[in-house]
Amino acid sequence: MNVTVCFLRPFARLLVPFLFHRKRRVSHSTILQRYMSSKVPSLSCHNKDSTSPPEQLELDGWKTTMKSSIHEDAVSVVSDKDEDSLAATRELIEMWRLLSKDVPEHITEEELKTLVECTSKSAKRKYLKYLYLKEKAKEAKQIKKAMKAEARKARLVEMPAGGQQDFMFLRLWELRKNSALGWKGVQAMQFGQPLVFDMAYDNYMKPSELQNTVSQLLESEGWNRKSVDPFHIYFCNLKIDSAYHRALVKRYGEKWDKLLITATEKSPIDVFPKDKIIYLTADSPNVMTTFKHDKMYVIGSFVDKNMQTGTSLAKAKRLNLATERLPLDKYLQWDIGNKNLTLDQMIRILLCMKNTGSWEEALKFVPKRKHSGYLEISQHPQDILRKLKKTKTLSSFPKGSLNARTWKK
Amino acid sequence: MTFCLSGFRSFPKLWKTSPYLELGPVTSSVPFFLTVYCVTRNQQRWFSVKPTSPPDSKAMNLLVAKARTLKKRNDSNKQISSDPHYFAAGAAKKRSHVTKNPQDSGHALPPVRSTIQLPTRPLNSKEWDKLKEDFEGKANFEDLVISQMAQSCSCVDVAKSLLAWVAGKNNGIVGYNLLVKYLYLCVSHGQTSEVIDVYEIMKARYKSLESGAYTLLIRGLSHSDRWREALLLLEDMKKVMTPSRKNYDDCIQGALLHQDVTVAWSLYQELVGHSLIPLLDTLKAFFDFGKDIADDHYSSNLLDILLYLRTNQLYPGESFAHSIKAWFESIPGRQWKGQFTTIQKSGQCSGCGRTIESIHLSPEEYEFLKEKIMRNVIDGGDQYKKTTPQELKRFESFVNSRPPFDIVIDGLNVAKMFPKGRESQILLAVVSQLAQQNLRLLVLGRKHMLRPSSQWRKDEMEQVQKQAHCFFADNISQDDPFLLYATLNSGNHCKFITKDLLRDHKACLPDARTQRLFFKWQQGHQLAIVKGFLRSKLTFQHILSYDTVVQTTGDSWHIPYDEDLVQRYSYEVPTKWLCLQRTQAPAPC
Repeated sequence: MNVTVCFLRPFARLLVPFLFHRKRRVSHSTILQRYMSSKVPSLSCHNKDSTSPPEQLELDGWKTTMKSSIHEDAVSVVSDKDEDSLAATRELIEMWRLLSKDVPEHITEEELKTLVECTSKSAKRKYLKYLYLKEKAKEAKQIKKAMKAEARKARLVEMPAGGQQDFMFLRLWELRKNSALGWKGVQAMQFGQPLVFDMAYDNYMKPSELQNTVSQLLESEGWNRKSVDPFHIYFCNLKIDSAYHRALVKRYGEKWDKLLITATEKSPIDVFPKDKIIYLTADSPNVMTTFKHDKMYVIGSFVDKNMQTGTSLAKAKRLNLATERLPLDKYLQWDIGNKNLTLDQMIRILLCMKNTGSWEEALKFVPKRKHSGYLEISQHPQDILRKLKKTKTLSSFPKGSLNARTWKK
Repeated sequence: MTFCLSGFRSFPKLWKTSPYLELGPVTSSVPFFLTVYCVTRNQQRWFSVKPTSPPDSKAMNLLVAKARTLKKRNDSNKQISSDPHYFAAGAAKKRSHVTKNPQDSGHALPPVRSTIQLPTRPLNSKEWDKLKEDFEGKANFEDLVISQMAQSCSCVDVAKSLLAWVAGKNNGIVGYNLLVKYLYLCVSHGQTSEVIDVYEIMKARYKSLESGAYTLLIRGLSHSDRWREALLLLEDMKKVMTPSRKNYDDCIQGALLHQDVTVAWSLYQELVGHSLIPLLDTLKAFFDFGKDIADDHYSSNLLDILLYLRTNQLYPGESFAHSIKAWFESIPGRQWKGQFTTIQKSGQCSGCGRTIESIHLSPEEYEFLKEKIMRNVIDGGDQYKKTTPQELKRFESFVNSRPPFDIVIDGLNVAKMFPKGRESQILLAVVSQLAQQNLRLLVLGRKHMLRPSSQWRKDEMEQVQKQAHCFFADNISQDDPFLLYATLNSGNHCKFITKDLLRDHKACLPDARTQRLFFKWQQGHQLAIVKGFLRSKLTFQHILSYDTVVQTTGDSWHIPYDEDLVQRYSYEVPTKWLCLQRTQAPAPC
């Protein structure tokens, strides 16, 4: 057998291109058959004689089959000769998928239009990557959901049919909790300390940043609601039918009108006395030393990915308001990241300051990746002395609450 | 232990505060800083967990001491090697080489990835099977192998055998990703016939391709006889996105290789029309090709390229400069003579003695720049960002009520130049030295300078105010925009002193043209103090009197170019020039 094959091999190699040229109509499978039959023996032959030059390997055979599959493929696609840029973009995405680049599998018409409108190549690539990651996350979530459903089914089967037991409460915890929080919210609306979110930054933000801001606002409101002693939240400068308003209403749904906050189109200076307002901004030259319970703190609801430094400081300067920043440098060994915190981190810090008054407690909400630990107070002796001279409040620096990971000098 | 640790802490400080260390003759400085860097990286973790052991602290002390002596040596050296001027190519690199080096080399390590011993000869399918069995890893085997082949530029035949094996397993079908990487190998090896084969396959199998494959095909085809198909591929690309300048470069090079000048020029026009900046290689190709043809139209196009370089302030590379020289010298009958020279401080070319264009802006440009600075840098759509309207008004009336100044000083920048000295003392020293030369001075500062403190002594500030006009902005206002405006407002003779490169203010300007104007003005008017003045007389970095830009007088060209071995930052200008001149008038016919 082997002998005959070896004998046939040179002929087979000659035959394949020959056959191909002569009979173009020959079907894909026959070519493949012949091609394979020509290839396998050649390899076995090569094994026996490993010193033979590489020319003996069948290297170009695959090209024939690749080219021969013209007909099935080409016929199907050539029919829609649509020179539209949308279609071309869709094809480009398909080809990028074949290269396993970060592009989504499915893309809607709307997304495709957004993509075509992107001005630069990098913008396109970024948008595609965003869609890709979104798709991935969604997929993962669905898989997880399916697994959970299965697990629940299994658990239900295992559970024994319970007999009668005595309970004190019906299981309506969520409902109870919500109504209790609602009560607390109403209390805060009447007697709570105001906390203002200044919404006047919508024209400084891109749509994606605005979406992020709205997410952060939602989360802030949630943290506030769950707190022991909530703030009375004001959304100032919130213009009806602005992008902000629309996004908020869309996210809250019908809950928006029942929310225990005050949303107003007015500016904070119209609502509150000017001398009571403190505008919080990371660019402020003044450091916040204590939380004052008789002041109205204003937080700019502004996600700034564009590094427009000093926007909120300029705003406060224009309105002639007092400004303050958090004492991050005083308490934390700052590593990376900018000092702008997210809105929910801000409100958690402020809530903590309101309820406990301890900076060490409150600054726990600063992301751990941004700093490498708490500073020892004695580390900046001159600094502290200067502060003491100014504020004369020794008690505001409780000693002995040193973090274990403190950086020793 | 505390001493050692404080020594250790001072390392980053040492790097930060001594960016002016010049590149001394001590070649060992680089590895030295490397070791320090490694040590600090390791120690950081170490220190935070437990106290150091004595040997380590000793080593650290040694290193600290060594660093100090090194610094001293560099200090003494820097008097000898002085820069030609503040914005000269490579000057910033010299200024910052200490701060840069450790970071660069520390992070340059490539990420560790699973690697395969790549075969050096074509394998048959059994051998591939075996190799695949031996391979352990999550990645797709074929994909990984061919990626590594592409990286290490393996032989084309080896890759081909891989593809044949894949096709054999997979009904004769080879995936697009493998095909593209194979194409990359073929293109990088210059195997035109293979490129054409792959091109045929791709054309057959796929209706359209993506940018990566198009780019490779264009590059591969432009050298072959079928280079016109590269142009078709370029058209295909344009349907979805603008082709890159490299794509245009390949097409133009292909057209020039096949003597089709018209196509090359129209592609060039298209490229510039997309507001892409052409690769210097593209322009060089035009000059290289121009040597063989004597055509007036072609040469006028080449001169247009030189003017394009001028308007966009591009500088040719060294080899490009050689091409330009060769082309000029090849023009028949004109007798151009080229030489590589430098420009003297007086602004005269060392080669021909002609004076280079002045750095000063024309009156229209000057007015334009002044207005743009006022509107974009100081105002910027929101006056409260950098200052307040009240302060702006106060400043304007201050500037307008006084006659023009000769020198505007950035008080805080000057005062903080020497970390060891008292700030007000340094400022006073600078001001009084300048005042002795009967110059009208303006010192810009912030209000906190007037409040007496350990750094700012009241009597010294009073003396400063006696010798110079002073304007103190609010503590949260920016003083640089005021510096720029006061200088511009005083007129063309006025200079300003700061070490700041003012890049953030340049970035506030709306378009590239204004930014270039600003840079030109900055080169001509910024005085930077040379270090070491406390011990001696006040000296400044040399100011350019001429503009570094491609320029002509009709029968001469002066073209600055980048040397291959000098790394130039965007805010620096080249120092080497190509001087071209006609040795004799065109021969009378």
